[in-house]
Amino acid sequence: MTYDWSVVWDHRFEFLNGVWVTIILAVSVMAMSIPLGIGVMLLRQCGIKALEVIATVFVEVFRNVPLLLLVFWAYYALPRLTGASLSNVETGVIALLLNVTAYNSENFRAGVNSIRKGQLEAGLSLGMSWSQAMRKVVLPQAIRRVVPVLASQWVSLFKGTSLVSAIAVADLAYVGLHLRGSTFRVLEILTALAVIYWVLAYPQAKLVDWLHRKYGAQE
Amino acid sequence: MSAFDAAAMKARKNEGETPIIAYQGLVKNFGLLQVLKGIDAHVNRGEVVCLIGPSGSGKSTMLRCTNALETITGGTVLFDGEPLPSDDKVRFVRRRMGMVFQSFELFPHMTALANVMSGPTTVLGMPTAEARDKAMGLLSKVGLADKAESYPSQLSGGQQQRVAIARSLAMDPQVMLFDEPTSALDPETIGEVLNVMKTLADEGMTMLVVTHEMSFARRVADWVMVFDRGQIIEEGPPAQVFDAPLTDRARDFLSHLGWSG
Repeated sequence: MTYDWSVVWDHRFEFLNGVWVTIILAVSVMAMSIPLGIGVMLLRQCGIKALEVIATVFVEVFRNVPLLLLVFWAYYALPRLTGASLSNVETGVIALLLNVTAYNSENFRAGVNSIRKGQLEAGLSLGMSWSQAMRKVVLPQAIRRVVPVLASQWVSLFKGTSLVSAIAVADLAYVGLHLRGSTFRVLEILTALAVIYWVLAYPQAKLVDWLHRKYGAQE
Repeated sequence: MSAFDAAAMKARKNEGETPIIAYQGLVKNFGLLQVLKGIDAHVNRGEVVCLIGPSGSGKSTMLRCTNALETITGGTVLFDGEPLPSDDKVRFVRRRMGMVFQSFELFPHMTALANVMSGPTTVLGMPTAEARDKAMGLLSKVGLADKAESYPSQLSGGQQQRVAIARSLAMDPQVMLFDEPTSALDPETIGEVLNVMKTLADEGMTMLVVTHEMSFARRVADWVMVFDRGQIIEEGPPAQVFDAPLTDRARDFLSHLGWSG
């Protein structure tokens, strides 16, 4: 058995394109899921029963469906339900966003609940409205506390983006799987794919560890 | 009512005017537990009223009902003659009452200065420069101008509590509520907080103070209410309550504290 690693180098620009799409997917999904996650979390404790129930159902549905299934569902079912015609990338972003938003709202909820009640009360006793006290007092502390968890979520999202290759979004995984089929150099291409993901994700995981140390055990 | 009572009542500051705070049949339940069993009491403008009594007797709960941090089960709390709104509008009343907590509750992500500025800027929309001047003035007043840029975690308990007092004062409240302000402090820093409170009292601030500092209550209060099991068992000027309590339970409570008059 001979290996031909030159095939990887020959297709370096395709790989780079895939990396680029993967990064765009992860960054855009994370950037949107943070404010949306905070929004869903606030809805879950806003005091208006109907909104609380809707937000809770949203979280429990999209947190507990396998991401791959969600990707397919967004691809096949969403256009029928909404009548909207979406590109594959948009569909992939929506599927990832539903999942990560649900998780992030839970992350923020844990963060807010970890801030003791007296902080909210101190804000209220100054005459702040509930939303002012949340914005000025509770959320800034909760977000700080949630940073390490968000970082873990980010790494998991970064790798999870590979699932959108199932609906032909040309991310890193899709490019790899496509090249595997066209070159028949299965071992070389898949190894290269794994190495690229690892090289990208490992420094991020280290960054997460660092964030844990910096923000993790702080009052 | 004995002649002594009547004389004492008459001596209360601004008695006869609309009290700044009044409780009418105030009841508070936590589940099946009745913590306040129909409180009738009032605080007049300019008075320093101290609430004393055993732990769990309802003093702090009454204080928290005063600015609606607890919802009340029955009865009424009146601020300046008006019942507390039961909805979000209560925040307009809260602005007029300062609250100081046992555990300080400074905002840990803000400097001392930013803590003191937070009420005026967020609630009143005061311009930053004006709020800063005001906050610096208040920090000087509590003796902490040099700690303006410190974060709460860099301050001692007594310093944190003084910043918390300044933060409440920044809203120009008509009443200050103190919930056991020195109970979480090291003994050596209690004095500095009590001194600030004494200064406020001397300046004529209306104050409602839940405290275990009997000598403070004896020295500074105009009026003392003794709580036991959700009721006020005795109230009067400190000279009467501390030196000649009328009820056995008040006498018991004070003697358990080693208070000998």
